[in-house]
Amino acid sequence: MTAMTAIPPFDADLLRRYDRPGPRYTSYPTAPQFTPAFGGAAFRDVARMSNGDPIPRRLSLYVHVPFCFSPCFYCGCNRVITRDHNRAAIYLDRLVREIGMVAPLFDRDRDVIQLHLGGGTPNFLDAGQLGELMETLHRHFHFSDAANRDISIELDPRCISANDIDALAFMGFNRASLGVQDFDPAVQAAVNRIQSVEETLAVLEACRRNRFRSINIDLIYGLPGQNRAGFGRTLDTVVAARPDRLAIYSYAHLPQMFRAQKQIDEALLPSAEDKLGLLQLAIEKLTQAGYVYIGMDHFALPGDELSTALENGTLHRNFMGYTTHAESDLIGFGVSAISHIGDSYSQNPRDLPSWEDAIDAGHLPVWRGMAMDADDVLRADLIQQLMCRGVIDIAALEERHNIHFLAYFEDDLRRLLPLAADGLVEVDEQQVSATERGRLLLRIIAACFDRYLHQPASEPARFSKAI
Amino acid sequence: MSPSAIRRPRPSPIADDGDQLRFCSTCAFSDACLSQGFDKNSLNDLHVLVEHVGPVREGEHIFREGDEFTAIAAVRAGTVKTYVIDPSGHEQVLGFFLPGEVIGLNAISQSRYPCNAIALDTVMLCRFSFPKMALLATRLPGLQAQLFKLLSQDIGKAALLAGDYSADERMAAFLVALSRRYAQRGFSATRFHLTMARTDMANYLRLAPETVSRVLRRFQDEGMVLVERRELEIRDPARLNELARMVLRD
Repeated sequence: MTAMTAIPPFDADLLRRYDRPGPRYTSYPTAPQFTPAFGGAAFRDVARMSNGDPIPRRLSLYVHVPFCFSPCFYCGCNRVITRDHNRAAIYLDRLVREIGMVAPLFDRDRDVIQLHLGGGTPNFLDAGQLGELMETLHRHFHFSDAANRDISIELDPRCISANDIDALAFMGFNRASLGVQDFDPAVQAAVNRIQSVEETLAVLEACRRNRFRSINIDLIYGLPGQNRAGFGRTLDTVVAARPDRLAIYSYAHLPQMFRAQKQIDEALLPSAEDKLGLLQLAIEKLTQAGYVYIGMDHFALPGDELSTALENGTLHRNFMGYTTHAESDLIGFGVSAISHIGDSYSQNPRDLPSWEDAIDAGHLPVWRGMAMDADDVLRADLIQQLMCRGVIDIAALEERHNIHFLAYFEDDLRRLLPLAADGLVEVDEQQVSATERGRLLLRIIAACFDRYLHQPASEPARFSKAI
Repeated sequence: MSPSAIRRPRPSPIADDGDQLRFCSTCAFSDACLSQGFDKNSLNDLHVLVEHVGPVREGEHIFREGDEFTAIAAVRAGTVKTYVIDPSGHEQVLGFFLPGEVIGLNAISQSRYPCNAIALDTVMLCRFSFPKMALLATRLPGLQAQLFKLLSQDIGKAALLAGDYSADERMAAFLVALSRRYAQRGFSATRFHLTMARTDMANYLRLAPETVSRVLRRFQDEGMVLVERRELEIRDPARLNELARMVLRD
């Protein structure tokens, strides 16, 4: 597996040819397959079933805080722009009620091993409000005492002080993810996110001083006005700060889907060629700096737990990205949050009023979801192997799911042929494995096994491009 | 190719259904009848009504405490839980019945069922009118012997876990007993699906649900079993048997 940890070589021709839309597979099946037929009653059923396992899975919690003080134009997240800080208290009040409704559905001896606060901007809630949220969660759930439990938060460095970080550490937070995107002033102006290097590094230092176990920085390539010189300086600055983890996302320009993106001047967007150049630059600089490629858009320092997990085959992937925690049941709180209980997915309403109405009426705010069938479970397992290990172990999959691999996936393997011809993937009797060249295109390989992408008659879902 | 065509056959705890001429593969009585020279045809001639019942859905009752006793039933597929409600209103699980096993035997001495029976998953049954069965038993000594054997097994089963055993011993005995019961009907002895919820298992073993999980997790850490959701694999039968020995009085 040593080859696995190196950053795969950059191949412009290949990446250009495979730059096409596809899901990111933080879940399989993906959210477009969820239906309103799966509602609150179904959620109660799957929760009860999950408690009935002889060793019930541990829990992961996700809390969504949708508010941001100002709109970043690139953003495709579910968020609400407001400067009215009163909205935080009102939202928190409903979150507390939601937690009070949902938590009793899960047996108390199921330890919470992972908590993530995402957004929007979780630190739109002030330290006192975050403290109340944490106190509520601790009142309703039992948090694991394990050293490797993850309590993480996405932070906007523009609106948090060093004192706030001290408070977060006191509440138990031990991981943080800082949004940066690009330090180039021209790019920052074009995307409406002005953020200095100094304030960012100050937050990073405050996290370190508080012994956070790991700090992640998010960057985006393909933003308006971005060029090699500016993005190169950003990469140099970030790499010099040595965050434990780095995510380098591709900007997906889908203004029909994400209204904020209409504010972006399309004339400033880099060409496909230039965008590839930015990715190449990032890969070169991260390779030189010794980072390990985890998969998809994620990199980590060699000593980080993700790198270790990648090396010994214990890496997992869920809605919160890559994780070292084996299968757990995920409960999502707040507007648009997704839960994954047993073999089911469910999602809260994406618009704030619907979520609020459900809470106020005392209903579980489940908007839509799905119960996976045996085929979904099998393909989810396969895609998980691919995304986390770059390899599908055929015999193990056959054993777990009681199938003949070659017969079952006859059509899927045919779709894989051109990718094999391009040297992205190798298939033999033991395994299907992504080659070194193919590892930057894992989602393209995974898409070959996505039943829903290849169903005729179904409306094609809109996904962002692969690169 | 349809996915169902390429699933590999795996022995699963679903009985092979019989037909007009053949007994179901899990039939609790077929051996006794066949050994006496009675095949299914001749049983029909004797007007022994064998009535296939089901599917009974998860959570539906098959009979309730106090219902008039008319028939015993063999489980053909699924799992049946029997339980009573004690005077303080708490449920007490009496037992779990797998394919090939017979429910209602504890009603024989009375005219009413002394407990409730509920389906834990989709259950198929084979009902025998008890008066007719009893009549037939007078003509078939082998069948009578089989009935007595089933009766004594049923009584023994309830007494098994009443002793002063540790949580580990109870859990091991439960798993070993399940394994043997599945094996007896031709299913895998080392890999099976636990159809009962953790709370039912805990109630039956007189343990707290947390203890069930804690003990199983330790068994797993020690390499005796592997638990993935409701699937259980016994990896070290010898050690598990050793732990279960006192309870099962092997």
